[in-house]
Amino acid sequence: MEAIKLLMVDDEVDFLDTLLRRLKKRGFSVKGVKDGQEALSTLKCEPYDVVILDVKMPGMDGIEVLRRIKEDFPDVEVIMLTGHANVEVAIRGIELGAFDYLMKPMDIDELVFKVEDAYKKKLLRERKRRSKE
Amino acid sequence: MPLAQIKSLRQRLRNFLWRHKRHHQGPQLSLEELRYEFQTKYHNFKLLLNANNKALDLMSEIEESLKGTRVFGMTFVRSRTTQIVTNVYQMIKNLDAIAPNKYGLLYEKFKEIQTKLDEILTPETHAEDAPLVIPITRVDKGHVELVGSKLATLGEVSKIEGINIPPGFVITTEGYRLFLRHNNLHEEIQRRLQVAELTDLGKLFSLSSELQQLIITSEIPQRLLEEIESQLKDYTLWDNSSPLRFAVRSSALGEDSEGISFAGQYKSELNVSPDELIIAYKSVVGSKYGLAAMTYRYNHGIRDEDVLMGVGVIQMIEARSSGVMYTVDPITGKDVIILNSTWGLPKAVVDGSVTPDLFVVSKEKRPQILERSISQKLVKYSCLLEEGICREELNALEANVPSLNEEEISQLKEIGERIEEHFGTPQDIEWILDREGRIWVLQTRPLAHPGKEIPNYQIDLRDKEVLLEGGITASPGASAGKVFVLRQDADTLRFQEGSILVTSQALPRLAPLLSRARGVIAELGSVTGHLANVAREFKVPALFGLKGALEVLEDGMEITLCADHRLVLKGIHNIKVPQERPKAIMEGTPVYETLKSLATHILPLTLLDPDSLEFHPKNVKTLHDITRFCHEKSVIEMFDFGNSHGFSERSSKQLICDVPMQFWVINLDDGFKLEPKGNHIHIEDITSLPMLALWKGMVKVPWKGPPALNTRGFMSILLEATQNPNLEAARSSEFAVKNYFMVSKNYCSLQSRFGFHFSSVEALLSDRTLENYISFQFKGGAANLPRRVLRAKLVSSLLADLGFKTQLKEDHLFARIEGHPLDFMEKRLMALGYLIIHTRQLDMAMDGISALNTFRANLQREIEEHFNI
Repeated sequence: MEAIKLLMVDDEVDFLDTLLRRLKKRGFSVKGVKDGQEALSTLKCEPYDVVILDVKMPGMDGIEVLRRIKEDFPDVEVIMLTGHANVEVAIRGIELGAFDYLMKPMDIDELVFKVEDAYKKKLLRERKRRSKE
Repeated sequence: MPLAQIKSLRQRLRNFLWRHKRHHQGPQLSLEELRYEFQTKYHNFKLLLNANNKALDLMSEIEESLKGTRVFGMTFVRSRTTQIVTNVYQMIKNLDAIAPNKYGLLYEKFKEIQTKLDEILTPETHAEDAPLVIPITRVDKGHVELVGSKLATLGEVSKIEGINIPPGFVITTEGYRLFLRHNNLHEEIQRRLQVAELTDLGKLFSLSSELQQLIITSEIPQRLLEEIESQLKDYTLWDNSSPLRFAVRSSALGEDSEGISFAGQYKSELNVSPDELIIAYKSVVGSKYGLAAMTYRYNHGIRDEDVLMGVGVIQMIEARSSGVMYTVDPITGKDVIILNSTWGLPKAVVDGSVTPDLFVVSKEKRPQILERSISQKLVKYSCLLEEGICREELNALEANVPSLNEEEISQLKEIGERIEEHFGTPQDIEWILDREGRIWVLQTRPLAHPGKEIPNYQIDLRDKEVLLEGGITASPGASAGKVFVLRQDADTLRFQEGSILVTSQALPRLAPLLSRARGVIAELGSVTGHLANVAREFKVPALFGLKGALEVLEDGMEITLCADHRLVLKGIHNIKVPQERPKAIMEGTPVYETLKSLATHILPLTLLDPDSLEFHPKNVKTLHDITRFCHEKSVIEMFDFGNSHGFSERSSKQLICDVPMQFWVINLDDGFKLEPKGNHIHIEDITSLPMLALWKGMVKVPWKGPPALNTRGFMSILLEATQNPNLEAARSSEFAVKNYFMVSKNYCSLQSRFGFHFSSVEALLSDRTLENYISFQFKGGAANLPRRVLRAKLVSSLLADLGFKTQLKEDHLFARIEGHPLDFMEKRLMALGYLIIHTRQLDMAMDGISALNTFRANLQREIEEHFNI
């Protein structure tokens, strides 16, 4: 199977680096960026399967980034990952089409499961579209 | 049989039959469409189950916190609520994907509940006027956000009459924030973390020491400095018989479990003089960047900025003796005080460098020392005059003297009891005894684990026989009564009021029985499950995860269930359970009250009976109700797949096998090793776990052919043939369909129609135990109805013995088993496969109960022999 292409968006660089390294070890093809703007321009250049998105970032906030990703790249699955619990933001995120809203601290195995589940969802959707065409 | 239950059976039956009809009305799907349908449903089903488990875990965490025996802050409350809401919302969405637009009302109900939760969780406000420094005597359980949970607990202890904690103060999380802001430390730390490449341990190590150095060289803002100095100047606070020295202790806020799993990762400095206080403070704050702490945060994704350091500045006490005390025996659960004690500072006990003296003390008014073991304490730690602590060797004479006298032991026992009473749960207490013989408490924390709490009363076992022991306390208390063993669903109708329910699994569907049960015992099940929750609500004692219960306990046996002590006793005993609930220490704090009112919209389960008409989205009141509803409906929608989906015949492959029957297989996902080129597939090329197990059972024992018939058996077939239109060969009847498997790696559905018999198996099998299920439906036959009924009874009773829940209506049988581990389920599938083959046409030979019993005995023997069940 081809490696799942994963884009991580987090301004916390220490966290980002550690997680990128660990996800690479698990066989994902991963790239990390520091903010929403960069995430959007990266997505313009090359396709990704799943985006792991921090909710609270300087500049464009996570919800706004999510909205734009879903608008411009509807096939990409987005997992929100945050250290700040907020019911409204969580539900808003899922309504906007996020695959899930996860809270840090996050167990790496659990995160890997989530990414796989999100990827599976994407595959199924793509297949449905192909079969319609 | 109560009317409602008859209705419910009828309803189920109608649904059952209706589903069968639908098969023939359903659209014919192409293989591609069929695969897509299956994979989407299956994926959503799995996501729903995951969200369900997560939500239930979180709910039980809230319930645990509402016992109020452990301090917690708003961070905890917000995080748990948000996660529960998110997972419940995901369940609704997944159910909607499995059964589109069928349960839309759930969204409205969810929104109503969410609005109520939002109103309670008023927006986060950061108190700007929070103090930078606060005396420890002014701290209590309500101050978790300000001082961290460790120091909030210590402050709370000082509120108990007759308990002393050493004087001191806390440099609060607000003080910490100011310190960071003043030095722009946050930005600087971020910058350094960004430029560093954390690729190996060596680099992480140097970054760790670099950051700690950065903090130590930073300046304490004037305002904070002044407040610290004014505390120090307030000499009335201090006992000045010896030079003033401090223990500087960390109490971090913002870790997941508020200091429990994180214990020991931050530094404490002992015997610090006032001149060195500031540097010690910075060093403790800097320990946030210790190697272990940093690694922990990275691995768990905790943001650097979310961990705030509260720091306690607590006066050092010159210790003559010190140690640790448990207010119950943590191993046996006996209600006694366990005291460990050594000379000097408690470090020796905590780090294990000496074997301490041990005293076991009864909790009577005039305490007895039940056990005393004086060890050779060759080392003691004490304060150095100037700074730091030192290790002293003791001579043999000193080392062998008991480190506590009887009066001191009795005082300590008194202190332990008071703290335990105040917090309402057994405690692990660190204490110190000074040269004047005064006792000081340094730290206390609960001893308990959910489900394994130590009871606060004892049972005298001298005249009693213990039948079973172990498991987890799913609902507290004790009760006595007659055993009622529930082996199949139909048994619920015979349930005797006031019995103790004994079952293999703690299934939510048993909830309606609990109002009439005196206790519940289950071999499987957890504290966090639905049934446990309902048992607690009805105050019915419950013991789950008790292995061997079904072997030892028999119908009608008189037993006493001691859920708190995790024991089952022989006979009826009157166990007195103390009625007064331990006082919840957190009760009355704003944080606790917030959680409590949130919980009223989250925890109660009001949708109890899935068979009742009330089991409807319009009656949903809480988030727990939503989880229950979604779970029940998703299982039903999923079970339905094989029945409700037609397929085009071209998509199937014929199975090449040695048995004289024809089977076709449809690969729904990853059920084949390789997609075969032609129209056939070998059994070796199939990867589907449930299909392989079922198949093994089907071919294990060669079928001996139809049973020999007597004349009456023949007559019954002839008679039936004249009345049943389906038996007319020329007609395209509903029984003309082939036998086919639909498979993926973990899923299998078998529809088989052997002549006049219709049977269907559906199974999901993997390492994820909670998702596993087997369902089986069976009806029909060629003989007349009484014979068909007997045959269905035969199959039903054999399946019930194997642990299936069965429902029988005339010759229609529905059986289901779920939630067991892979190997257990595989054996059941094999036995089921065996039964499907070997009970064919037995209806014709069923001319009475004696025939049934003979066949039953044979079949049972063969199952035992071939499948080790």
